[in-house]
Amino acid sequence: MEKKITFSKVSEKDVTRAIVSEFTQQFSEYVESDVIIVGGGPSGLMAGRELAGKGLKVLIIERNNYLGGGFWIGGYLMNKVTVRAPAQEILSELQIPYKEFMEGLYVADGPHACSKLIAAACDAGIKIANMTIFEDLVLREENRLAGVVVNWTPVGALPREITCVDPVALETKIVIDSTGHDACVVKKLEERGFIKTSGYGAMWVEQSEDLVVEHTGEAHPGLIVIGMAVSTTFALPRMGPTFGAMLLSGKKGAEIVLEKLNRK
Amino acid sequence: MPHYPFVAIPSYIHIYQGVKTAQLNGDKIADYLRAVLKAEIDVRPEFFSFYLSPYSDEEKDNLLNTTAIQIAKLKIRDVTKKDILSEPLQGEIDYEKRNLAKSIDRTFGIVYEGFNLQQVHLGLIPEEENNLKHLHIIVTNQLFATWDRNNHRCHARVSIYGFPSIISTTGVVEAPAKPRDFYLKRQLGQDPNRLKEEYKGSFIDYGDPRMTDVLKGYVAQALFYHLVGYPFCEDKNCRLFNAHRQSELLHAQLHSPYEFCSKHQAVLNKLKDI
Repeated sequence: MEKKITFSKVSEKDVTRAIVSEFTQQFSEYVESDVIIVGGGPSGLMAGRELAGKGLKVLIIERNNYLGGGFWIGGYLMNKVTVRAPAQEILSELQIPYKEFMEGLYVADGPHACSKLIAAACDAGIKIANMTIFEDLVLREENRLAGVVVNWTPVGALPREITCVDPVALETKIVIDSTGHDACVVKKLEERGFIKTSGYGAMWVEQSEDLVVEHTGEAHPGLIVIGMAVSTTFALPRMGPTFGAMLLSGKKGAEIVLEKLNRK
Repeated sequence: MPHYPFVAIPSYIHIYQGVKTAQLNGDKIADYLRAVLKAEIDVRPEFFSFYLSPYSDEEKDNLLNTTAIQIAKLKIRDVTKKDILSEPLQGEIDYEKRNLAKSIDRTFGIVYEGFNLQQVHLGLIPEEENNLKHLHIIVTNQLFATWDRNNHRCHARVSIYGFPSIISTTGVVEAPAKPRDFYLKRQLGQDPNRLKEEYKGSFIDYGDPRMTDVLKGYVAQALFYHLVGYPFCEDKNCRLFNAHRQSELLHAQLHSPYEFCSKHQAVLNKLKDI
């Protein structure tokens, strides 16, 4: 006999109260953190997983409602993602099923890979501020980056005269820019005259992945650049629809953060 | 037949091997040169590691810093701009420093301005070997380009000849044009790895076992530049042919009926009489 499902009785106000109190409690707690990762794509999630796994207080700022960036889709709207060796080791580590397409090239199901990575990062303990957009920098002595200024993403989509909403600032020890080719944090530093970037070069799949991982590192005191933001910052060749460097760059970025915070 | 006066005849030839042995056999190249010229020929390790190794850790670190800054400034950021010199970011300097510290198979993919890169190498050659009795041939996997004043953009090069001469194995793969259809299909989105399989053999690729034989011709070009002041030949069958396409490169270096054209062979014959 089919069991009848009956939900417990709660009123609308209780639901609202649960959302508000839990959100504000977490937001208040993460107004100050060890690491803020701007951008919740594959490199940011990978870095977040590694850092939170070491016990650091990590907040990921994501401008969209969803996490994962381009990792859901492999290219041309086809949802198979590829990685080149040795990045399949990370797929194994995250228990993402994959197959060898040819020697050194591996393919996985995009939605499965992406959701596993998000889950792994969440399980490790990251917290997420989604629908939240990076707006500006918090700078301290000698222009060291010490936080970010954020606002709700929809605010930017409305006319100023309707939504003159001031942003808020979050403090942290290290900021990671994993905003892809936009390199939003780096570009903001460039606007202020602290750094000069040259944009990315032509696509050169064979070399761009190696170079992205090689160049992953500190771009400014308090700022680590990972993923495709590395390519924009250091004018590296563009990469094709392959994700190995994103995962490995995230991992390397996390190692650099741990070294800087003496947590290794 | 044009007369080629000798500019300089080297007594010593130094080949710096910056690419791993599986792709390139420096000893075979040295033997090839020994057959055409009486000179003391040695194969040395990668250029920077060779010249930096005698220094103390502190001196080496200083030299690595200085050289890394010089090289980072030469990175070509926009191939349509002639003036490439720029102030590098610290991250770019750090990358160059790490890369310089590698004794072989450095990471490649950055394109540098070739003539200035040659000057950076020259700066490290010690005084006793800084004369025309010595021919320095640097084989590297780093990629360089030079400004082409005809079409106003930088073009990747296989080699820069002079003192020292630099030959790029990455340049051998990337600089001469592959078959036209290869690029058309790639532009249409075909998988580069599948295309490489389809056009296998029609161009030199990374890890190609033919690299050593191909480089013999480029080393010969470096030798001729040193000997007579001009490295190239118009004969498509001569090792000295300046190939702009992979098909021309493969023909001149691997499939030609002879090594050198008669006029360049005559130069080598004359050399044996001296």
